[in-house]
Amino acid sequence: MILRLLNFVVIGALVLAAAYVYRIKFDSTVQAEHLAKLRSEQRHERDRIAALRAEWGQLDNPARIEALAKRFTQLKPIAPTQFDTLDRLPEHPSDDARAANDDPIGGLIGTPEPLDSVTGTIPASIPDSAPAAVPSIAPDVAVPAVSPDVTPDPAPAADEAVAPDVTENPDQ
Amino acid sequence: MSAIAEPLLRVPAEPWRQRLLRRLLYGRDANRGAKARARVGLAIMAFAVVYSIIAVRLVMFAVVSDSRTVHRVVSGDAIATARPDILDRNGEVLATDVRVPSLYAEPRRLIDVDEAVELLTADLPDLDATELRERLSSKRGFVWLKRDITPDQQSEIYHQGLPGIGFLNENKRDYPNGAEVSHVLGHVNIDNQGIAGIEKWLDGQGLAALHMAGLATDRLQTPVQLALDLRVQHALRDELIKARAKYSAIAAAGVVLDVRTGEIVSMVSEPDFDPNNPREALDPTRINRLTTGVYEMGSTFKAFTVAMALDSGKVTLKSMFDAHNPMHYGKFDIHDFEPMQRALSVPEIFTYSSNIGAAHIAMAMGIDAHKAFLKKLGQLDRLRTELPESAEPIVPKRWGELNTITIAFGHGLSVAPLQAVMGIAALMNGGILLPPTFLKRSEAEAQSLGKRVIKPETSAMMRYLMRLNVEKGTASKADVPGYYIGGKTGTADKVVFGRYSNTKVLTDFMAVLPADQPRYLLLIMLDEPHATPESHGFKTSGWNAVPTGGAVVARIAPLLGIQPRLDLPPADQQILASMKESR
Repeated sequence: MILRLLNFVVIGALVLAAAYVYRIKFDSTVQAEHLAKLRSEQRHERDRIAALRAEWGQLDNPARIEALAKRFTQLKPIAPTQFDTLDRLPEHPSDDARAANDDPIGGLIGTPEPLDSVTGTIPASIPDSAPAAVPSIAPDVAVPAVSPDVTPDPAPAADEAVAPDVTENPDQ
Repeated sequence: MSAIAEPLLRVPAEPWRQRLLRRLLYGRDANRGAKARARVGLAIMAFAVVYSIIAVRLVMFAVVSDSRTVHRVVSGDAIATARPDILDRNGEVLATDVRVPSLYAEPRRLIDVDEAVELLTADLPDLDATELRERLSSKRGFVWLKRDITPDQQSEIYHQGLPGIGFLNENKRDYPNGAEVSHVLGHVNIDNQGIAGIEKWLDGQGLAALHMAGLATDRLQTPVQLALDLRVQHALRDELIKARAKYSAIAAAGVVLDVRTGEIVSMVSEPDFDPNNPREALDPTRINRLTTGVYEMGSTFKAFTVAMALDSGKVTLKSMFDAHNPMHYGKFDIHDFEPMQRALSVPEIFTYSSNIGAAHIAMAMGIDAHKAFLKKLGQLDRLRTELPESAEPIVPKRWGELNTITIAFGHGLSVAPLQAVMGIAALMNGGILLPPTFLKRSEAEAQSLGKRVIKPETSAMMRYLMRLNVEKGTASKADVPGYYIGGKTGTADKVVFGRYSNTKVLTDFMAVLPADQPRYLLLIMLDEPHATPESHGFKTSGWNAVPTGGAVVARIAPLLGIQPRLDLPPADQQILASMKESR
């Protein structure tokens, strides 16, 4: 009697085990197919990335950029005199100076020297009334608005030094 | 007991025929019980074997079929010709693979050849109808009809539903920068095998074997990074094209070499070709003049002569050599381009580019020393780089006094220009000869490969002479402010039909920047430049190669990260004085 019961139990266990194995097998097949699909998708994507990279390479080609820059901008090759090192920058205006003076950069430079000393950034004569309109380098490029708390006073002076360079041949 | 045993012991009555049969089969006194047990055992064994085979096969199927689905080759791109991407030193793509559909046919499976020809030529007008018909009528199993068709064409042909016509996705090499980088990269054939340049070198590195084994299907190969800088390459090429047009030269070539690592940052030989259109490369005028051409480099070789003399210690910068009269040797006269009619010091010989002076220096050193020095600097052997194309220098078979005299000022020995660049770079960088490379290389790697050829002091003196030559010598038109260029010019009469031509010259210019802390060496070479109105009828190097070199430096120096330094003192203070300090 017990033996027979055992037989039935074993048979039941066998059926269950078979079903379980079948499920695992089925699952793994599904997973494998999914994997294969993902792999082929990956491959596809990689091919597309390669094609896009090739296209980007074409668009980013220096010759093309140069032609476009010549046509649409007034940029010029950089001259050796336009480089400088960071340690030769003037000091950042201190908070005190900024609080005391509403023109911190101007306060930093000060006006001890007479204006006839011409430097790279101070042209020969600064007109008393600084031009209100800042000449923009590229007319069709929007100039970011100068926020009111940053005084634009030194900007025209700097721009005047650059401006002749830019306007020399406007038909380029 | 006997009552029970009796019926068992009694042998059951059997028909005599059965008894006879059993006796014939098993013998007279066979133990049937033992036999039966043995038979059952045998049956168990047999079943066990069968079932274990089934079990093992099941396990195998379970394991193997899984991996098979993973590695299943996607139908439609069976051809294993993937190549690694080629990048420049900043990671810009120079060459990459793009998948393009190609059209093929299986003529045996075609039903109606005429219909197929008609429909295919309608979609692909550039297909030759007679040739197509011929191919489709053949009894072959597989023919290519057209490689590299557009996706639109593919979908149209697909929708015609022709039997026996199919598509395969193939890797096609794409060079997004076109002719910008041509000779360095080389090109591939229709089957994506490298034919020239770095592409061919890649095949030699085991890629060809991978292709043969059909393993190079995937894009996962690591990209190859070159030493080339695309931006510098463009600037150099642009200036060379301008120069070639301006001086109506038949060719213009240039190299930028990092003297500390031997990396070739840029190499252009104009006219060049578009690697996307490899047919152009067959044109013999488009060869790479820097590695496959050999030229007499002219006065730039005086740098070798002077370096040899200074390095020997027998000659100093203050030594004087007689340049009063043209030098006679046999029936040859050696003249100076601008005769000075007096004794010249070594710096004067260098800056006036005096042939007579250079010849005297070389003769003072002796033939053997001269030859050994040039050999040491790699000027007499074929220079091998990654590029498969290289040319052997033309060295005189019998090297006599006359050879030493002429080679002292750059005639009578033809070298590949890249080779000369390598030699001059060794004179500039402190005296280490580095084999040039097209691949990215670190300074530490370069040092392990380098070979000391001259003393560091000699190198400093050579840089002083190069700088002096720009300050007040033949190369003054290259003095771009801020970059402290040093340079040596060279103008060589070309050999036409075995004689030196009076009209055709090859001009070159070697520039080192900055001369006090050398980083890069630039070579500009113009083949048969002509005089222009601005050059007052001159076509020597100082009037064409040198201004070109200056223009190139002004453009590439910011790209190479060289900081301009204005108001530097002249060469004798900047280079010679610092050399004495360091001693």
